[in-house]
Amino acid sequence: MHPEVTGMPAPAAGTGASAQRESLPAISVAGLRKSYGSVQAVCDVTFCVRDGEIVALLGPNGAGKTTTLEILEGFRDRDGGIVAVLGRDPRDKSAARELRERTGLVLQDIAVEPYLTVRETIARQAGYYPGPRDMREVIGLVGLAGLERRKVRSLSGGQKRRLDLALGLIGNPKLLYLDEPTTGFDPAARRSAWDLVRQLRAAGTTILLTTHDMAEAQALADRVVLLSNGTVVAEGPPAGLGGDSAEHARISFMLPAGVPLTDLPVAADLQDGAVVIETTEPTAELHRLTSWASRRDVVLSGLTVDRPSLEDVYLRMTGDGGPSGAPERSPR
Amino acid sequence: MTTAALARQPPRRRSTLNLVIHQVRYEQLSFWRNPQSAIFTFVFPVLFVTIMGALFGSLGRSTYFGGLSALQYYVPTIAALCVLGSCYGQLAVALAARRQNGILKRVRATPLPAWIYFIGLLAHCVLVSLIDIALIVGVGRLYGVPFPSHWLAIALTLVLGAATFCALGVAVASVISNADAAPAVAQLVLFPLLFLSGTYLPIHSRLLNRVTGWLPVRPFNEALTGPLSQHTGAEWRQLAVLVAWGAAGAVVAVRRFRWSPRPE
Repeated sequence: MHPEVTGMPAPAAGTGASAQRESLPAISVAGLRKSYGSVQAVCDVTFCVRDGEIVALLGPNGAGKTTTLEILEGFRDRDGGIVAVLGRDPRDKSAARELRERTGLVLQDIAVEPYLTVRETIARQAGYYPGPRDMREVIGLVGLAGLERRKVRSLSGGQKRRLDLALGLIGNPKLLYLDEPTTGFDPAARRSAWDLVRQLRAAGTTILLTTHDMAEAQALADRVVLLSNGTVVAEGPPAGLGGDSAEHARISFMLPAGVPLTDLPVAADLQDGAVVIETTEPTAELHRLTSWASRRDVVLSGLTVDRPSLEDVYLRMTGDGGPSGAPERSPR
Repeated sequence: MTTAALARQPPRRRSTLNLVIHQVRYEQLSFWRNPQSAIFTFVFPVLFVTIMGALFGSLGRSTYFGGLSALQYYVPTIAALCVLGSCYGQLAVALAARRQNGILKRVRATPLPAWIYFIGLLAHCVLVSLIDIALIVGVGRLYGVPFPSHWLAIALTLVLGAATFCALGVAVASVISNADAAPAVAQLVLFPLLFLSGTYLPIHSRLLNRVTGWLPVRPFNEALTGPLSQHTGAEWRQLAVLVAWGAAGAVVAVRRFRWSPRPE
């Protein structure tokens, strides 16, 4: 089920130790549980984030993403399970300072003190870390160059979020947490935020992000952990997510005028006026369909063949809109 | 491989003293940059002593003011009021607001040790209190209150008082869950206590004075009245009561303080 976790290297002794440590995951979570009163927010969550990877915790609101993240960050205690972040337990108070030196986090809401300048705000944060990144580099990276002397309160909302991101990066973290990094961004801002995340990964930063946006998970993540109702319902690279259903292809076209659905040579459904054929053998089905169409001299307008998108998988697996729709719940 | 090995070597941390100075510096910078809070913090005491001076400046020593002149009575109580305002009132409100808008959570996410963060706040409160007292003593001199002579006793009382009321301020901020309620709650506790402790008017009820003598405000008033107006040294008994309250506040603060806006 979760080969990454069961395959976790045991602490090795002797010469092989450094090679072993190289493959140690940045984050490993096994059997994580947390409840608020009678509400089980996170139930038996298991996943890992390898060194240098971008992993997305994907799920609807109340799926347990933020709770999981806050347990990893050390803000919340857990009820059960094993958690290791950069080889340390975030619950372990003696590891807290070291962990905070090596991790950065960017939270959902903007919170920056209004009266300092951009440069001062970043310089203050930089002073907390033993090996901070170059300030100019970070300001350039987040796109705040030229605004160094501006007061924070005169920045736009988007600029403040970029400042927040700069604060998460200035300590040169090995591991970066991004909590819903592009919520509320316009499409252009979102693109540039995605580019930045890719740049960071290219520079060797391991990133765990939460999102409820499938497109974002698909665009950024090496692997996606799909959460619903506090449990992992799917895990894997975004392309292969959804297991068997990923093998399915979907053929669709507009139903030609005057042709009843039953005349078609393959089993088909009608969805919103379009004919939809779900199949595991798209080549053969397509051949049958097109030869039938040319024999009958029928045009299959809008003919497309695609695989189910992550969105389909997401909606089905999280039960959103499905018959067993997951109730919205959030500890917030 | 080599770069990874290099990266894993932890770079050296700043020394603790260095970090304290860094934190105090930026805490100050962000205070002085906010013109409103800076002005009001210092205009208030000057205005208050000036008004009291205009009203009662010509009165000599009287038994009503415990054998002191009116201004000799008000200079220390207003000084105490200012220390209370900046250490207890403003701190409780500022911390509740910083928690609510997520600033505290971000501070917690950095490697800055919590105690250094609080040292930064305490240093700020002590500094503001020092300036306030200097202003009050200066205006009091204009109304005939002689300059005090026991500066060491004043400094000691000030630092202990600031630490005590900061601890109580953090404690109250820990107990309040909602930043909108913070100013009201902080004032609700403080205002009657100020009145009963003789900050605004001398209290002549022996019972009341005995009770408020064990609460934090009156001992602080008295501990400042000695060296500021009566040319006596440190008031040890009052300071002991004050420190006991500070310790109690610190215990509550340490056990109950939350960084995160959301309850656990």
